[in-house]
Amino acid sequence: MLQHLVSGFAAALTPAYLAYALVGCTLGTLIGVLPGLGPAAGTAILIPLTFKLDPTGAIIMLSAIYYGAMYGGTITSVLINVPGEAASVITCIDGHQMARQGRAGTALGIAAIGSFVGGMVATIALVLVAPPLARLALSFGPPEFFALMLFGLCLVSGLAGRSMLAALLMTVLGLLLAMIGIDPVRGAPRFAFDIPDLYDGIGFIAVVMGLFGISEILLAAEAPVGEVVRARLSSLLPSREEWRRSVGAILRGTGIGFALGLIPGIGAIVPTFMAYIAEKRLSKTPERFGKGAIEGVAAPESANNAYANAAMIPFLTLGIPSSPTIAVLMGAFIINGITPGPFLFQERPDLVWTVIASFFIGNVILLALNLPLVGLWAKLLHLPFPYLCAGVLLFCVVGAYSLQQSIFDVWVMIAFGIIGYVFRKLDLPLAPLVLGLILGPAIEKSMRTSLEMSAGDYSIFFTRPLCLGLLIAAAAVLAGAALKLAPSVLREPQL
Amino acid sequence: MILPNRRAELVVLACLCALFGFMTVTAFGYSLRDALGPGAGFFPFWLGTLGMVLSLALFVQSWRGRAIGEGTQALLPRGEGARRVAALVAGLVVVSLLLQPLGFRLAMLVFTAGLLLALGVRRPVLIAIFALASSFGLFHVFYYWLQVPLPIGVLGI
Repeated sequence: MLQHLVSGFAAALTPAYLAYALVGCTLGTLIGVLPGLGPAAGTAILIPLTFKLDPTGAIIMLSAIYYGAMYGGTITSVLINVPGEAASVITCIDGHQMARQGRAGTALGIAAIGSFVGGMVATIALVLVAPPLARLALSFGPPEFFALMLFGLCLVSGLAGRSMLAALLMTVLGLLLAMIGIDPVRGAPRFAFDIPDLYDGIGFIAVVMGLFGISEILLAAEAPVGEVVRARLSSLLPSREEWRRSVGAILRGTGIGFALGLIPGIGAIVPTFMAYIAEKRLSKTPERFGKGAIEGVAAPESANNAYANAAMIPFLTLGIPSSPTIAVLMGAFIINGITPGPFLFQERPDLVWTVIASFFIGNVILLALNLPLVGLWAKLLHLPFPYLCAGVLLFCVVGAYSLQQSIFDVWVMIAFGIIGYVFRKLDLPLAPLVLGLILGPAIEKSMRTSLEMSAGDYSIFFTRPLCLGLLIAAAAVLAGAALKLAPSVLREPQL
Repeated sequence: MILPNRRAELVVLACLCALFGFMTVTAFGYSLRDALGPGAGFFPFWLGTLGMVLSLALFVQSWRGRAIGEGTQALLPRGEGARRVAALVAGLVVVSLLLQPLGFRLAMLVFTAGLLLALGVRRPVLIAIFALASSFGLFHVFYYWLQVPLPIGVLGI
């Protein structure tokens, strides 16, 4: 493993891959900073930029965009009380209060440091955990994979949004939309209605651009962006007292983010909420929270980045995306002819270890980008909405068209933009739909292959211990959510 | 309490139920089982059925006055917000229609300039510079650097 990692570093430190990581982190931070463009849509829109790169370079750049965006959202949370992406919602509470008290620099500084620590610790853990987990997953057969994916979807349905029924409905809709196109087992077209564009199914990336990009812009067009605090950014480093308060918060946030990142389907908001609440409960002065407590920024930001890196573990080892953004990354892997999952570590160790090494490098780049350049990022918040909106829409159109050089994908994106706008207004969660759409073909294939193995006998799912355990866990998650056993903090308000 | 988007919620759920119903019926036309086990229609048939049950359950719940979420946000925007949303959607539809006949550069030039005007920008020079730079600049990046064959229109642009 160490040998693989060293080789990975040797490759990731070549000028080209370093440049991809730097460009990815910069673009990702830009996406996070700009209101109206979340990490899922931002990563999807930028996929065409990687078309000319080799698969390793493309994945390095897109991964860097992903965790760059996860950090960038903090800047808007602190300065204008508008989260650049969903996971930064909780940072608004104390981060914006700190900015109002003239401590914006400190808030952004501790967020950058906390994100760095969270990201590095989670990546070290990824190096230790991923190879044995991938080896274990090699023993999985189709029934286990079916049960595992079902478990992931049940977690998403059980925890996303305020209504479990609505989340389940969205999961089923995503799965059903994934059925459009060629049947993965028999090769016959389904729901294509003799429309050639539908034979390949609905373009996943175009759907994500619509659901998360266009709909976000439509929502932003309705409401004006809040006032930007003219923050003093000279003092980025916390005082000695603030350091004392932050160290424990960063470590606890990292632990919470990492642990929850391992669970497929938990979503990015939950770890940040958990970390914030844990700090408030542990604090001897909880009344400071909501009024500019530095722990209220340090803990969720560490949890956010630890989660982002830990979520790569189920993705790389099992092929299960934990969030819509990871699902977009999965789409990018597939476009580049790479299938995430246990075989990845066996078949493409060069790629996977170079990408993992690039996570370490990306975290260092992010720290270097964000501490000294935070003032520059803050200036972007003054970009007038019409120009921002026109720029984002241009990128959406060219991004959707570039996927297959097809106007059909542009129409799909627009349609799902409007659908996403309506669904968001009605509090119908989008994350289950997206995960259902990306996992649909694999879950169907594993279920049908399992039933073919057993000649149609359903007992195959109940006679294999691991499969049975996962199915029981999936049922328990749904039952728990139905009976409101899941703590309210675990329920994501909106994704 | 009648929530502002309750009617919209009922309409959307009814549409979803109809969609699931349509897909269930269509899936029934594919084979549910064949010699090797579950057929092409098996998975979509059961998913469609489950979708119908779920959307009906939510419909009944909403009909009885319990919204899916907080239900405090009106579905359709009003005033200035409505005008901006309509301009964005109309702009996207128009640019999709013009993309192939006019070509990427001209279609995007028209789209960007029109959008900026619709969103209230009243500085013609800035609009022209931004529209030209973004449409022709983006074309250059994608067509020449990334070698993505973007559409070229009847005017050869």
